[in-house]
This record gives sequence, structure tokens and C-alpha cells, in this order.
Amino acid sequence: MRTEALHRNAVILAALVAASVTACAQVTEDQQKQWLGTPAASSHIGHLSGNAKAAAGDYRRYCVVCHGELGDGNGESAQWLDPKPRDFTLAVFKCRSTPTGTLPTDQDLYETIARGLDRSNMPPWNTFTTQQRADLVAWIKHYSPRWQTEKPGTPIEIPPEPEVTPGRVKAGRDVFARVQCWKCHGAEGRGNGPSASTLQDDLGRPILPYNFAEGGRFKCGSTDADLYRIFMTGLDGTPMPSFADNIKPEEAWDLVMYLRSLQPFPSKEKAIAKSLGLTPVSTTSTGP
Amino acid sequence: MVSCRRFFVAVISLSCLLASFTPSAQALPAFARKYGLRCSACHEAWPMLNYFGQKFKDNGYQLMNDRDSPIWQNPSYWPMTLRITPYFHRESTDKLPDVVDAPGTTNPSFVRGLTYSGFDHSGLDILTGGTLEKNISFLLVPSADETSAFHMESANVRFDNLFHSSWFNFKLGKFELDNLVSEKRILTLSANGGAYQLYHFIPAGDANIFGQIGDNQLGIEWMGHSVNDRTRISAAIMSTTDGSPDVPYGKNAYSGFFAASQAFDVGKLGTDRIGAYAMVGQAPTVFLTSGGVPIPSTGTGNKSFSREGFVGQFYFNKLNFQVVTQHGTDSAWFGAGFGNPIDNPGFPNNGPGVTLPAGTRNPSWNGAFIETHWVENPQLVFIQRSEWVHMSQQSIPGTPSNLGNTDNYVFGFRYMPLMNNRAGLAWHNEYAWIRQRGTALDGSDTTSSSVMSGLDFDF
Amino acid sequence: MNVEYKRKFTAVVTALALVGIGVVLLGRDRVNAAGSGSITGTVKLTGTPPHMRGIDMSKDPYCVKQHENNPAKMENVVVSSDGGLQNVVLYISEGLSAGEVSAVPSEEPTVDQHNCMYSPHVVAMDVSQKFKVTTSDQTTHNIHPLPAPGSGNIGWNKSQPPGAPPIETNWKAPEAISVKCNIHPWMHGWQVVVKGPYAVTDEKGNFTIKNIPPGSYTVTAWQEEYGTQTAKVTVAAGQPGKADFTFKAK
Repeated sequence: MRTEALHRNAVILAALVAASVTACAQVTEDQQKQWLGTPAASSHIGHLSGNAKAAAGDYRRYCVVCHGELGDGNGESAQWLDPKPRDFTLAVFKCRSTPTGTLPTDQDLYETIARGLDRSNMPPWNTFTTQQRADLVAWIKHYSPRWQTEKPGTPIEIPPEPEVTPGRVKAGRDVFARVQCWKCHGAEGRGNGPSASTLQDDLGRPILPYNFAEGGRFKCGSTDADLYRIFMTGLDGTPMPSFADNIKPEEAWDLVMYLRSLQPFPSKEKAIAKSLGLTPVSTTSTGP
Repeated sequence: MVSCRRFFVAVISLSCLLASFTPSAQALPAFARKYGLRCSACHEAWPMLNYFGQKFKDNGYQLMNDRDSPIWQNPSYWPMTLRITPYFHRESTDKLPDVVDAPGTTNPSFVRGLTYSGFDHSGLDILTGGTLEKNISFLLVPSADETSAFHMESANVRFDNLFHSSWFNFKLGKFELDNLVSEKRILTLSANGGAYQLYHFIPAGDANIFGQIGDNQLGIEWMGHSVNDRTRISAAIMSTTDGSPDVPYGKNAYSGFFAASQAFDVGKLGTDRIGAYAMVGQAPTVFLTSGGVPIPSTGTGNKSFSREGFVGQFYFNKLNFQVVTQHGTDSAWFGAGFGNPIDNPGFPNNGPGVTLPAGTRNPSWNGAFIETHWVENPQLVFIQRSEWVHMSQQSIPGTPSNLGNTDNYVFGFRYMPLMNNRAGLAWHNEYAWIRQRGTALDGSDTTSSSVMSGLDFDF
Repeated sequence: MNVEYKRKFTAVVTALALVGIGVVLLGRDRVNAAGSGSITGTVKLTGTPPHMRGIDMSKDPYCVKQHENNPAKMENVVVSSDGGLQNVVLYISEGLSAGEVSAVPSEEPTVDQHNCMYSPHVVAMDVSQKFKVTTSDQTTHNIHPLPAPGSGNIGWNKSQPPGAPPIETNWKAPEAISVKCNIHPWMHGWQVVVKGPYAVTDEKGNFTIKNIPPGSYTVTAWQEEYGTQTAKVTVAAGQPGKADFTFKAK
């Protein structure tokens, strides 16, 4: 109740402050129709080019039921789903190669469509042709004014993955302790940290941190580089922040290796962690 | 002898046609409810699957988003769908054995046609399916014919993605064969258009009912597919019972069904798929008898049969074609009427001292159908199918070479005024015409047609 | 819910438009003199201030320890003993010239994460003005501003572990932006972005908006629970304008 009231206040007040300058906070269908004809409503993935208008049929067939006619995430199924379908009018996306607060690249959206988002209702749409996906990416981009005025962020650089060594796995544990991943993900990565139970997404809905010990796919992929990207860019719209300012690229790979050791599958990282006798990080520190 | 066989043929044809009244097709709003997707996500036009729906099925009714296990469902969710079709229809057949004027007659002069019309309803399908646990799926379909006589259309459990691999899926029970173009998802419903002739074809006088790949079968299936379902392959071993429970025919008769297909992206047109299938099996011809009546489950003297062909799905934006071919062969014994005295006690039994009539050969035939769909949008689809099955070798020497040849043409459209994530309703309209060569009592062709208009709904 | 929003939104826009027209009709008789006048005043709360409940920080023992001797309370409404209302943002909503509106102050407001609270609870800034988010806590925070959709501001979410360098950034559009820390759900603050000069009331409810040339202005006071109030103020050369506001406790 409290947060809801706060949120409502925030919206009204923001409108108040902004009203004299910003014309309207709502995106209208007419605007979207207009944006459909703009260069922003296209996509470029490698040598593939997507055209928004070509995706209209597919969007209606596959997507509209959740994401809605206006792309606002208010499709007829939205009321039953949790997490809620993405609101394309906001253009805030979890899976990006770009820094927090920036638009994703076409490639990011293209991959998300085929990958789906585990532990949500978004299935992997990997039966689509590459052309269908490219067109859908273009289509998604006609819903938000952000694509008209902003460019996608610059993808973060991921240095080549170094070899897994005991030193790195151990250093990764130090990073895990220092930036306090455990606050949400728990000391053993079980998604049961002290703050886990109170987490909310940007819509104020409860959301759970990833449970490494369960071993499911990450939200945005399953490779080491995907994991690296997730904590360095953050998952916008969720409590997962970007750690780009506080974890150096070298350390990031260390952290990846330590996080792998928390997963249930047999891996070099897990074997090393076992042979080193690594214990879960301490969560009792109350500072100086 | 010939006219006698023709009589059997007429009876068999008629019973086949009547059986096809039951749609027994699969379109499960229960899944739509579970996942919040519309029919159109999985069905090109329900009940016909699209590539996404095919993948969903191949994954064991799972979206693979880690929310497939039933523990994620609201406790009140019950994975059940009912489907039935009330409709008006007009059926016309130009030649029937005239049982009123002369019961049991085989006199060619007693041949007359029949046309009737009226309101009707299809059989009822109760479709329940889903997951028992992540990667353990089930499908149970108690199905009633129009008179409410129930049978189990499907009843199976499937272990999916064993060893974390989409190449290892095993299914046990009564299931739909892994037909790329499955009759369980057919878009036509009428008495003369609601089945693929190829999938049930039996030559005139032949008694092998076991090669009907349109029917669900009892057995075990291994199925594998690539993660995006572009490549699919399966092999199944079934009891040769045409899906009947209690193993009523042979003591040890098994059949196999094999299918493989590969899909290709064709740029802006979409995705095409080509594949092949084969059914090979054995069925008994020798039955123990009691007082002259054959005893179920005693069949021995297995003889073989096979059906094989190619399958293709071709997309040109809104237009798509489904093409299926078949070459079928039965043992000469089946061709001579052996094979199923259990259901038809009048049929011959290969008892002691029985020999195959001299000169009897293995009947064989070739057939194909092309089904064309114009999918104007997910709610409106136009359908046309042309199907031809032609004998290439008759079993009994001297039989007219075209006896039993079947041509079938179907036209229809389905308009789905509502398309949501909870239910489906289609206004179904269809005309079907079928001709079977030489199967009338007087040796002439039998021609039948159906007109129907109904409301196909499931929820 | 959405309809309700829209209705309120429409009402607000209409009200603002009326105010705007009024201002235009009154005319602008501002003396175009260089100089730095100011607007001062006090914001008070009448009625019984709402109870600010205590905060349970037991999810993070570090935070609990910091508040061993000074129990943490909510800061939505902070009132002094004589009714002065703290954390009210005051800004000029009408009357500034385009140049004055677009001038960006060079100083950098700072909001610090201190003892698992935002200090200050409300930080105000000009559009495009750089500000800093720092942490002096030995626990990891994440700073997660949530601008309203369509406001022109884009939200982000960054972590600040102990010893992290400051985050330095700015906002592009005027808006009262709600800021939270997901790790410590009680942490809630405001980054109020306005156009032109501004001030935030101190613990006694006093404020001074500096660098205002003589002229007639509309001053708006914003409080997170009580919304906004406006007042007309005239600043003469060498004589600060005076604007007092009184909010009524709900």
C-alpha cells in the first residue's frame, strides 16, 4: 500500500513538474502509427535487415496476447502473468549488451526473441526464421518514442575469457564478497540472501533473484559471456543493478568463474572450488 | 466371389466414412490457458499446427521456459479441453446396397442412391494433457462417438529431454503417430472430407485394417529433434491392433512407424519442411476358432505390409501447401481377404489346410494428396484438398485394374470469430466429393458428397 | 487504474494551463536588471504531522548497528517543533527568461548513502546539472531511480559496494524522480529535477532561492506527500521576494 501510494504520487508529481514542458506522458496509437514509417522502425542484424511492417502479422499471431495492441504489455493475458510482459512503449529491456539506462542493440532484441526468458512466460521463439525475428525487432521499435530520439548504447567490451585457474576462482569469491552479491543471491548463490524476499521489479511486483544452485538458464543466456554481461550491464526493470563501475573486466571473469562453481553441474570451476575447500562467503560482517 | 467382395468393400467404405464423423482432433485451449497464448501461437489455423506448435508438442507440451511443470500453475487450473461440433449437413451417395427391398442382396439390379440432410453433432473429445512434472508429459483423450460410446483416443506418458537432450524423448501408450501432416490436426471435418484417404486406404477385398496411419496406435515411441525443431526424427513400435486395446488380434504382431523431416528457412517466405515416413508391420492371418468363431489374441501366421512416402510443407507467405505421397503394399494373404476375422467373422481364416487362391499377388497402390491453405489471417483460412489413390497391382488376377481407386476433393473455409487465450470457435463450412471406382454392386463407381456448415468449438 | 491516472493527469494539465494563461495575462513587468535577487520564505505544516514510523532494518545487520543509538524513522514528512517543513523543493515555475531557465549551475548537489538512508532525503537539481551519488556505508547499495514513463528521463540501476567511487550524472527533464535501493527496500528518496533556480527547505522549513533577477514570478513548492502549491512573488532590486507556504496535514 505504502509503496503504491508513493508510486502514484511519483507519477502525478512527475507529470506536474513535467507538464509545462513535456507535451504528454502517454504514447498514443496515432504516434505509433507515425513511428512505424520512420527509419527507427527497422533493424539491422549482421547483414539481415528487418522491416517493421512485415512483422505485423506475426506480432498479431504470436505476441499481441501478452504484449498488447499498443505494445504496452497489457495484452489479454497480462493480468495472469508474473513477471509481467515487457512494455515496449518504455523500451526498458533486461537483456542488453549495453550499459544500464541505455537502449539495447538490435542484436540484443533479436537474440532475446529466440532465447526467450526463462522463469517468465516468454518462450524461446526459435522456430521463427531469422528474417521473422529481424522484422519483429523492427516492429518492437515502433512502439516507443525512445527509438526516435535515442541511439542504442555502446555494447560493453568483454575481453577474451581467461583460463580457469584456482587463483581466479578464489579471486572471484573475493569479488562476490566485496560487492555483496550475497545480499540478494545468498552466500551459496541459492537466491535466498537477506534482501531476496523484499525485492520488487520496477512495477512494484515481487521478483526473485537467480538461484545458482538450481542451475537453470540465466535470464539472458547460458554462456560465460552471457553471465559476464548480465552483472556488468544489469537487468533493467529489475533490482539487478549494473556493477560496471565497481568490477574491473579482469575481476569480472573471476566472478564468472566463482559463480559457475555455485551451479550444480560438474565443471572445472566447481572442481577447483572443491579442491580449494572454498566456503560460502561470510554474511555476518557489520562493518567497522 | 467378386460381387461378394464388392459388398464387403461397400460396407467397409461406409463404415470408414461414418467413423470419420468424429473429429478426434487436437487443439487444446487447456494449453492456451496454461500459458496465456492464443490458439494462433501454436496453430496455423486450429487444429493445424504451425512450427511453434509442432515444437511445443515435440517438447512434450512444454514451452521450455522453466515454467512448464504443473507446480507453477494456479491450483485451480485443470488441464482439460472439450471439443464438439454441432452442424447441419447433407450427405449424398449415388449407389447403396438396397437392404430394404432385398436384404442381403448382391443382385446388381438393386442399386439405388441415398441423399439425406439434417442437424447433427460430431463426437465429443475430452482432451486432457500437459505435464506431470518438468519433462514428464501426458495426454489422455477419452473420446465419444456421436452416440456417446467412449473409447480412449489417446492415453500416453512421455519422458522428455532425457539426458538434457532434445534428441531423447520416449512415449508409451496410445498415441498419434508422428505424422508431419497429422489427421488429428486436419482442417476438414465432413463425412467425405474429414479424413485423409491415404491414411486409411484398404484395397477392395483386402482385409488388412492395420496399416491405417491416420489412427492412433498403442506402442512406444522414441522421438528426437533439434532445439529449434528444424530436424525431427522418430521411430515407434506398436502392437498391430490399429489402436484397439486388449491385443485382440495376433499373439505377437508388431508394426513400426518411422518418420524424419528437415525444415529450411526460405527467406521472406517462411520455413519449408520436407520429410519421409514409413510404416512396416506384420499382422496375423491364422486364428484359433471356437465353434467356428475366431478367438481374439490367438492370431499367428503373420504376414507383412508396408506404407511409405514423402511429406512436404511449403510456405509462400499466406499460401501454404501440404503434400503427402504414399506407396502401399500388402501381403497377398491380406489381399485375398485374410487378416481380420475378429471384427468380420465372415472373412476367411487361414486355418489348417487353407491355401492362398492361385495367382493371388501382393496388392499395391500409389497415392498422394495436396492440401492448400490460404491463411488470410489467424482467424480465416481457406482450404482445398485433392487426393488420389490408385491401385498399381490388384491382388486377385482379373480384377479391374482401377477397382477401389479413390479420388477425393474437398473445399472449405474456417472463420474463427473469436481468437483469445481461453477458447476457440470456428464457423466451419465444407464441401467434399469422393469417388471410388467400381465399388458399387453393379461394378460401377460410387460417388458420394457432403455439404456441412457447423460451429466447431473447444474450450 | 490507468483511466484514473489519465483523468488526474488531464486535470493537472488543465490547471497548469490556466495558471499559465493567468501569468501571461498579468504580463511581465520585470525590470531587466542584472543582479542577484532572491526569494526567501518558510514552509510550514499545520495540523498534526503524520506519524513517521520506525524502520526495521533487520535484513541488514550493518544498518541496524548504525542506528543503535538513533532509531531510523521514515522521512516522508519531517517537521520541526514549530511546524517548519523540511525537504520541500521550491522552484520558479513561471516568470524566468529562456536564458535564465537554461542556465545550468556549476555546483554539484550530492546525495550520500549514509547509515542506510539517503542523505538528504530529497535532493534538488537543475535540468542537466551534474550531481553525485556517494556512499559512506560499509554495505552494498544499489541506486535505482525510477523516472516516470515519457518524462524524458531514463532510469538506470547501479550498484555501489563499500568504497565505491561516486556516481556522477545528470537528468535531462524536469521531474520528481523517486529513487530506491532494492537491497534495502526502506531506502527511498527523491531526486527533484527542475528548470532554473531552486531551493530545498532546511530543518526549520526555511529556504532561499538565489540568483533571481528582479521581476514577477510564480514559485512552486513541492512536497512528496502533499503535492504542490504556488505563490506569486515579486522580486525588486535589492529586496528579496517573500513567499511562505503552508501545507495542511492530511
